Amino acid sequence: MTPTEINWPAALRAADSAEQAAAVNELRAVLLNGLRIAFSGRGDVSEAHLEDFAQESLLRVLDRLDQFQGRSRFTTWAQAIALNVAFAELRRKRWRDVSLDALLADGGRFADPAVIADDALGADEDRTRLVAALRHAIENGLTPKQRAAMLGELREMPFDQIVELLGTSRSAAYKMLHDARRALKQRLHEAGITGADIHNAFNL
Amino acid sequence: MKSEDQRLTREQVGSIVKMLGLTTDREFNCGECLQHVSEFAESQLAHQPVGEVIAGVEQHLALCPECREEYEALMKILKAGL
Repeated sequence: MTPTEINWPAALRAADSAEQAAAVNELRAVLLNGLRIAFSGRGDVSEAHLEDFAQESLLRVLDRLDQFQGRSRFTTWAQAIALNVAFAELRRKRWRDVSLDALLADGGRFADPAVIADDALGADEDRTRLVAALRHAIENGLTPKQRAAMLGELREMPFDQIVELLGTSRSAAYKMLHDARRALKQRLHEAGITGADIHNAFNL
Repeated sequence: MKSEDQRLTREQVGSIVKMLGLTTDREFNCGECLQHVSEFAESQLAHQPVGEVIAGVEQHLALCPECREEYEALMKILKAGL
């Protein structure tokens, strides 16, 4: 039987412990194969890393089994979870020494010309006006935590780490960033820069 | 953060502005995206139209580089036939 033919939720919940163990082992192999493909060519990810990711992913999938709604193949759903686990771990390693104080201090400089230069988007009048309005909006429209979270995200700090440093939940942090974007958009609108201007300027 | 590392690149500043252009009042968060991304990926692979529910995935992927990175890796796996 191929992985696409297995009724995974039933097999993973099987009352027969041997049947369940076989399904768990099979799923672990499927996840490991997927991770090998996803991270092929990356020198910073060893086979030992992949084995760890597969094991951790397997536990996460089993823990969330009730959330599978059958709208995709089970293996696609499980692979998405495995990739989320693996990338989160890799991102965390890169940024593990950053403190909340450093994040907030960096965010405090977000609107500084040393961070966003006058000609950051180009030297023409429309774009320098847009940058000036953006800096003003960042300075006056965001809270210190919103500035820190948004700048951290721009510098590719992992979202999970931003959540952890700010001592909040993922959903609350995402709402904080969403509210920040809406506030900036509103401030730009008040400065006479509309969504249509942005779409036109960037060919969105 | 070292002073020489502070300045954002043109791409980073551009990405702020682009994100503002794409921002809407109702959006998927990362958890909602993860819940639906497998369905979205299979639709994309089969060149099927995206339904209303999972249209939010596409918008979230345009805004969230982390979820975008994971989606691209998922597509790599699916294209390999797994």
